[in-house]
Amino acid sequence: MSQPKKSMPVSRLGHPNLGLGVGLRTTHFSYILEHKPQVDWFEVISENFMDSGGRPRYVLEQICERYPVVMHGVSLSIGSTDPLDFEYLSKLRALAKDIKALWVSDHLCWTGVAGRNTHDLLPIPFTEETLKHVVERVRIVQDFLERPLVLENPSTYLMFSESTLSEWEFIARMAEEADCGLLLDVNNTYVSSFNHELDPVEFIDSVPHDRVVQFHLAGHSNYETHLIDTHDNYVIPPVWELYQQAHGLTGGVSTLLEWDARIPPFPEVHAEVLKAKKFMGERLQKPGPLAEEDLVPAQPMPQGASAEHGRRDASWVPHPLHHIVPEVR
Amino acid sequence: MPSPEDDSSDPTRPHDLDVVQRWFQAVVSHPSGVGEGVDSAQAQELICLKRDELEKVVRSTRRFGASERLSVYANAYYARLLECLGESFTVLKHALGEDTFNEFAFGYLQTYPSRSYTLNRLGEGFARYLDETRPRSSGTEPLGPDWPDFLIDLARLEWVIGQVFDGPGLEQEDPLDYESLQAIAPEQWPQARLKLAVCLKLLQFSYPINDYYTEARRAREGEKIPLPEARRQFVAISRREYVVRRYELSEPQYRLLESLQAGQTIGQAIECAAEILDADDQELAVSLRSWFHNWAAEGFFQAVQE
Repeated sequence: MSQPKKSMPVSRLGHPNLGLGVGLRTTHFSYILEHKPQVDWFEVISENFMDSGGRPRYVLEQICERYPVVMHGVSLSIGSTDPLDFEYLSKLRALAKDIKALWVSDHLCWTGVAGRNTHDLLPIPFTEETLKHVVERVRIVQDFLERPLVLENPSTYLMFSESTLSEWEFIARMAEEADCGLLLDVNNTYVSSFNHELDPVEFIDSVPHDRVVQFHLAGHSNYETHLIDTHDNYVIPPVWELYQQAHGLTGGVSTLLEWDARIPPFPEVHAEVLKAKKFMGERLQKPGPLAEEDLVPAQPMPQGASAEHGRRDASWVPHPLHHIVPEVR
Repeated sequence: MPSPEDDSSDPTRPHDLDVVQRWFQAVVSHPSGVGEGVDSAQAQELICLKRDELEKVVRSTRRFGASERLSVYANAYYARLLECLGESFTVLKHALGEDTFNEFAFGYLQTYPSRSYTLNRLGEGFARYLDETRPRSSGTEPLGPDWPDFLIDLARLEWVIGQVFDGPGLEQEDPLDYESLQAIAPEQWPQARLKLAVCLKLLQFSYPINDYYTEARRAREGEKIPLPEARRQFVAISRREYVVRRYELSEPQYRLLESLQAGQTIGQAIECAAEILDADDQELAVSLRSWFHNWAAEGFFQAVQE
């Protein structure tokens, strides 16, 4: 394990360390409004609220009055060769202003081309051409939003043969050349590294730490030949170890737990992110065996994602998306 | 089929990012899976390669091959979107059964792939698709040849419910109450116009869709609600206190509200209703007082228009 640097200056593009936050999910709306839990902050999915005129937007406004909120999008498609969608960007900007979002993030990916949206976070080739393309688009988006963009490393299940850069090299150069922030998803680092037989420690070591604005933590599913970023489980010990490494190298940044499928009650989700406190601090040695409560409870092994029936059952999909179901009488 | 000498489709040469993305999208969204996707004319025009040459484009490892890697995205594409459609049309899914619903939804995604930044619009064209294709069940059709009309009606209802739930509403302002309606001088009523609540939608169906919707939502796990016989039904969908509410209307009520919503005067709207209401003047007056009182209480009216 790498040795965290001492006296690490923290930039985070000037953003504060908000502490330990949770992704805002529909199933927790009533609990949060009623109990006003002592959670540090919330992350909201931008696309769920930018057109909302109903209860979701009402709940969001109540939450924004009480808690710091950041926006996290899934449809910016910064890596696509389609033109940027300025209708989308206008709504993104308006929402950020209305709810006083502290920052706006999305993913280093593309979601569709030729006018289509797959609603997935698709991988990009790590080449000089893609880098130049992404940097240019990030600059345009930042100018339009009038704020720096924060980009997340998504979980990936393939890499392109023509890639000439490593993912961390690409991210580092993109962040510097576009002058943008990074959302370091520690679980995605673990998942992608496993899938491509790379070293997650090297990835964490190599990204520009002063540009990391936020961490993501999440659970995933293990299919033996590959991992899938299912966001439906506890954070496993190796991911906590990476988090500890990342925390030490960055000096600590806002940490958020994503739990998007088989979502437990809010107190359980909150308790999971609070475990991060055990992995902060000045420890320079590899942590010893973790306590029983930090181990992942046994889960039944789901069917393989590549099986034909995988199309019909969405319980295994990466980064499950959120569709708000109406309340009707 | 491009020749191997055509550089743009040569899998061994670096490709423009646009080519790679179009190829990737064609492969992972192909209805028959990755293999057929790679073989498809669309993919071959972009990058010409055989199924066993995928490593020229996609890195693979011993434990996880190129085709399997692409399959993660290919299977996720349909799984995610089918789930979303299933959640948008839960009662239609109940009526059809999961397999038939997914069959129709799968066809819909081929014809109308998502072109929006939000999943909330994914089902926007589903009723239109069912109307265009008038699908037949693989089994018997209990309602006869008009079965697709039942499906289309149900899809329309569920789509409107979703739109009303998260669309604009009147929760942050006061709707027009009955006292305000009564404040309109009697002699001004015939010429007055009412602005209906922005969240009020009026629907007419060939089947008692609203009743079926209610029964299906109450059904226990595994219980199948029988499909109804054809009977026209008129329904108002609105929202109050952020909850969507459904109101069955008589045809005269529907015509009256429809007329108001179209911008006609109250007098003109009442005439529309009176034409089909079998009532004398006194009965009509009693009915109108009751209707307007109830509708005002439910927040159907936003303002009196000048």
